[in-house]
Amino acid sequence: MTPIEIEGRTAFVRQRRRSLIVDVVSTLLTIVAAVGIATVVVALMHRDAMGALHALLTGPLQRSTRVGNWLVLSTTLTLLGLAAVVPFRAGQISIGAEGQLYLGALCGALVATKVHLPSPLAPVIVSVVAALAGGLAGAVPGLMKSRLGANEIVSTIMLNAVIVQLFDWTLRTKLKSPRQVAPVSDNVLPAARWPKLTTLFNTSLGRANIGVFVAVAMAAAVWALLQRTSLGYRMRLVGSNPQFAEYGGVDVPRVIDWSFVLGGALAGLAGAHLLLGVYGRLEPGMASGLAFLGIVVALLARNNPLIVVAAALFYGYLQVGGDAMEQQTSVGAELVICIQAVIVLLITARALPTILARVRKGRGA
Amino acid sequence: MNVVHAIASVAFFAAVLRVSTPYLCAALGGVLAERVGLANIALEGQMLTAACVGALVSGLAHSMWLGAITGVCSGALVAVLLAAAHLELGADPIIAGIGMNILASGGTMFAVFALLHEKGGTTSLASGTLPRLRIPVVGRLPVLGPIISGQSIATYLAIALVPMSAWLLQRSRFGFHVRAVGEAPAAAAMVGIQAKRVKYATLALSGALAGLGGVFLSMSAVSFFVRDMTAGRGFIALAAVFLGGVRPVGAAVAAVAFGTAEALAIQLGNFHVPTQLITAVPYLLTVIALGVSAGRRKRAEVARATG
Repeated sequence: MTPIEIEGRTAFVRQRRRSLIVDVVSTLLTIVAAVGIATVVVALMHRDAMGALHALLTGPLQRSTRVGNWLVLSTTLTLLGLAAVVPFRAGQISIGAEGQLYLGALCGALVATKVHLPSPLAPVIVSVVAALAGGLAGAVPGLMKSRLGANEIVSTIMLNAVIVQLFDWTLRTKLKSPRQVAPVSDNVLPAARWPKLTTLFNTSLGRANIGVFVAVAMAAAVWALLQRTSLGYRMRLVGSNPQFAEYGGVDVPRVIDWSFVLGGALAGLAGAHLLLGVYGRLEPGMASGLAFLGIVVALLARNNPLIVVAAALFYGYLQVGGDAMEQQTSVGAELVICIQAVIVLLITARALPTILARVRKGRGA
Repeated sequence: MNVVHAIASVAFFAAVLRVSTPYLCAALGGVLAERVGLANIALEGQMLTAACVGALVSGLAHSMWLGAITGVCSGALVAVLLAAAHLELGADPIIAGIGMNILASGGTMFAVFALLHEKGGTTSLASGTLPRLRIPVVGRLPVLGPIISGQSIATYLAIALVPMSAWLLQRSRFGFHVRAVGEAPAAAAMVGIQAKRVKYATLALSGALAGLGGVFLSMSAVSFFVRDMTAGRGFIALAAVFLGGVRPVGAAVAAVAFGTAEALAIQLGNFHVPTQLITAVPYLLTVIALGVSAGRRKRAEVARATG
């Protein structure tokens, strides 16, 4: 490399490092601001503000079952966050994770309960089926977007509604357990389930299972995909400038298709986690609202797959802390939803740093 | 009673009008926002907020009208906040809209709990309902009478709002500005239209319309607010917007179609008919219609480009 190239590269690396630091700091500030706003609201309305805050912040660690809940929720949110990150990075606003998750769980449950599977491979087969089903559910809006130009936001919202109804219908008719009054499916055979951490580590961690490791592995895989493979590079290219990508010879529609399919497969895997790891059967509304939280996690992580894990752990903690707060004090868990919303709004407000800079400059002048 | 009987009944058609009302209001609001070029994905949150505020105010202040009006205004306020997040802070409207929906979901429950110390909703609070109108002459007609007369005042308002918003968009000066800002922002700015102001005003109107739909839910269909009572209606209304070609009349037809499907699902609940599949049909049709219209548009573009 020539000295100029080296100098340019050093400057580039330095700039990239600085932008990463800015990202991390602003994310942390956002979180602090949101929790701060929530604290003020609670303090104004409740006498027990300090107790509530204490329960919110330390609750999840007080009992081992709560730690288990935290891990379970974080696993689901990591997978759903990754499911949002992949299309986001390709510039596609897919809101279809809910439908993809449900289709994955549904197809997984059909295979797990109706087909005789060889026992050591059963969890793997069911998980793969769920991921494939999720990928299929992602392919539909993907193809509609890439080949026809149909708005992916609308098509994914609509497909969510279709799949949720399909899930509900199948659960109440074809898969309903004859032994249960409630509309739930038969239990998946124990051999097909994801092993629990409780049995592996001999501590009672509730429903936490090896999905934790699956989620972390997936985060690493998505990172490798985006940063170290040609497909990932093309995805990022399409995401940042589709015209340039096309000019550079990238098959843009195909890259868009893949981003939807891979995102869908991750959401399907989240369905497998709920089916095989958490509930052991299908339950109505088993993932309601989680997919939107996945989007929030992806935003909080600024679409970085590795940070998704941290963001999901944070969100899971907040959620479990909210439940603890509700159990122990008079402050409801709704507060947590408000904190989440404030975080979303603050994060999307990209102009906030520039406004702050302007204010600072105005004061200096 | 058989299935045909149940569907062909007067009660069913009256139910269609009733069930369609919230979709109708929110879809009209969605059309306005879409036309000004600022997608209002928070229709759901605006409906939910309005439903909650309407029930709370009417119950606590013992004034039905005050409740309804503050409810509609709260819907507008949420929309203005969304517009501000986008216009002032540079937030992506879709993502900020998702945030608004989450905020509405948590905020309404938080408000209910803070004011009434209840978890599920405002069922213990005696709040008023909007009056039903008995139309004098029409009400006595044999078949049409029971269908058209005796509906909530919000239903009539929603129906009247369809031609009104069509007129507003196509004929009025304000509507011209809205379309100009949405379709050709550069040209609009050139002739001195204040895009920001038009966007704020349109979003406020959009939120108010969604708010009317929300107020109808908590103050007419029932007389209380329950957790997440909009249950995705805002998103269905959004679908109606696109299914109807982003036009008030088209969106209204689509909204009534969705309402019919829902009324059908309710009506057929007593029979051995898979209601979930009936409910899914309009969504599926929307997906297909979306694909077909996008494909047609793309072909037209290609044709224009090549020849």
